[in-house]
Parts: sequence; structure tokens; C-alpha cells
Amino acid sequence: MANLLDTPALARLYAHILQHGPVTVAELVDELDVPQGTAYDYVRNLETAGLVEKTREQRPYEYDAESIALTLSTDGETQTITPALIAAVARRNQDEDIDIYIERHGLDGLAVALEYASEYVDGAVNHRIAARELDLSPLEAEIILQALEPVATEYADGVA
Amino acid sequence: MTTVYIADTGVFVRCGGPGKDKFQRLRRALRQADVSLLVPQHVYEELGGDPAADEYPSGNIPYPDGFEEGWIVVAAELDYANPLVSTVMDEARRFIANETDRDEDIIEKADTALVGLAAQLLETGQTDHVVLLTTDKPAGRAAETLLPQHGFSDRIEFRYVSVEYLETVTANDFR
Repeated sequence: MANLLDTPALARLYAHILQHGPVTVAELVDELDVPQGTAYDYVRNLETAGLVEKTREQRPYEYDAESIALTLSTDGETQTITPALIAAVARRNQDEDIDIYIERHGLDGLAVALEYASEYVDGAVNHRIAARELDLSPLEAEIILQALEPVATEYADGVA
Repeated sequence: MTTVYIADTGVFVRCGGPGKDKFQRLRRALRQADVSLLVPQHVYEELGGDPAADEYPSGNIPYPDGFEEGWIVVAAELDYANPLVSTVMDEARRFIANETDRDEDIIEKADTALVGLAAQLLETGQTDHVVLLTTDKPAGRAAETLLPQHGFSDRIEFRYVSVEYLETVTANDFR
């Protein structure tokens, strides 16, 4: 699990299987543009960790992901690690705004921001209210809400 | 017939990031249409108020170029003595509190200022129409709901500024 949150490429692969599974390794290679060897390694890691399972026993093997509900505890605050959070972490490689937010506020900070992004997509919060409640500047709040908007939209109903 | 385009902080954040393609596209559309964006004072303060935001690619926004070139303009102060402005802002506070499921007390003037500015521009006859360009859905909905109740039907439009909007915006969107 620690690997999943520390390795955005692994998180991205897991998030993809979760959204689109069952999938074959060849499909992962195609759609995520990762080297075949890496894809096999990652799928094996995820399978060993019990996060994905083989759903077709003949070649080509197909894999599907188990939805997980683990928690992350930092400074006494407990956050649920949702598929949406893993997808958000997975975006840090392609979206530097998310990367910098994690550096400044940690994964638990990202998890809270993601809950606000879900509300923001629904029109149930704006960046100014989020800024006051998260103790950020309005500008930083708007930056992270926009950066997380695609994840919150994709995982609508599944974030909270 | 005149139209004023009010732009919120989210418009400029959307324009940030590497390449600034969206910023250049918006600039070109506005200049071709010979239209400027009106920025409320609190938005101007938000844009420049946090040095920490410079660390983010999307916090690095070349909006000062827009002021120099004249296609971004800061709005006049809100006139709270204008009864319509204060009434509409009060109503917007209740509306936004309801939309966001928050206590009315925590909704601030910055949350309702977009709606107040639109009311002020329409009421004082400075424009026939107002277009709100924002990512603030509660404020956009408040404006579209409340201003028609004060006689400004069909004179207010809320445009949600999505990535797609900025990737396809042209001068025709401002004519």
C-alpha cells in the first residue's frame, strides 16, 4: 500500500484497472503507454498485495481490481484511502500542481482537498469557502480544486 | 446594446500552467472582439495575494500582461450604499449558504461580490448585459436566479469556465 502511494505510475495502473477492468496486460501497455516489462512487474506486485486478481485463467490473462478501503493516519487524523485518492496521487506525474500540493500539505491534505473538489464539481462549495476552511489562500485553493476536478468528476459518488 | 464580462479568479487559474496556450487563446479572442474583462477588486487581490502560489505552475499566471495591454480592467468599488447592491448581496449570501449547506454567517462579501457587482453595473445603467465568467458555481447560480427577480431577466449569463471552454473560446464568444 505504501508503494501504491509513493509510486505514481503504479497508482495510475491500479486506478486504470479499477476503472476499466477486467483488462489484459497488453491493454495496459497500450492505453497507459508503459513498457511491457514494467506493466508485468506492477501487475504482479498488485496481485501479490491482493489489490488485483486474475479473472481469466487462460492466456491472455485478465485482471480486475479489488476496491479497497484502507485508512491513512497522520497527526491523529484518519483518512480513508479511496480509489479516487489513488487516482489523484497517480496524476502527480502529469500534473505538477498536484505534486506541489502533496509536497506542501501531504497525502492527508490531498485527501481532504479531494473531498472539497467533489463538492466543487457539484457546485456545493467555491474556492473561497474551501480556502477559509482549509486555511489556504483563495488562489492556492482554486489551483488544487481545478487540478483535482478531473478525478472528482471521474469518481463522482465514490469520493466521500 | 452593451455587455460587460466579469472574470473571476478561476478564469486566470485555468489559464495558468505550462505553455500558457489557453491564456494566449483568451487574449486573442478578447482582442479580436475588442472586449476587456472586468475584474472585481477582491479577485485582483486574490490573484496577487499569495507568494506561495508561485510554486505551482497554475499559480504562475501572466495576468499583469492583460492590464498592460488593456484587456483586463479592475472594477470600481462596490457601492454598498446602493440599496439594490446591498439587497442582492444579502440574498446571495442566503442563496450561497443554502447551495453549499453552510451557515449564513460564514459566507463573506468575497463570496457574494460577483453578484453584487453585476447588480451594480445593471442598476446604474453602465451596461445592458452582464456575463459572469467564473468557476464559482454557487455564485453563478445565485446571479442567474436572483437578478431576474429584480427586473434583469435575460440580462445576466453565467458561463462556467471549464478547460474545454478556454480551449475553444473565440472572439465570437464575446460578440
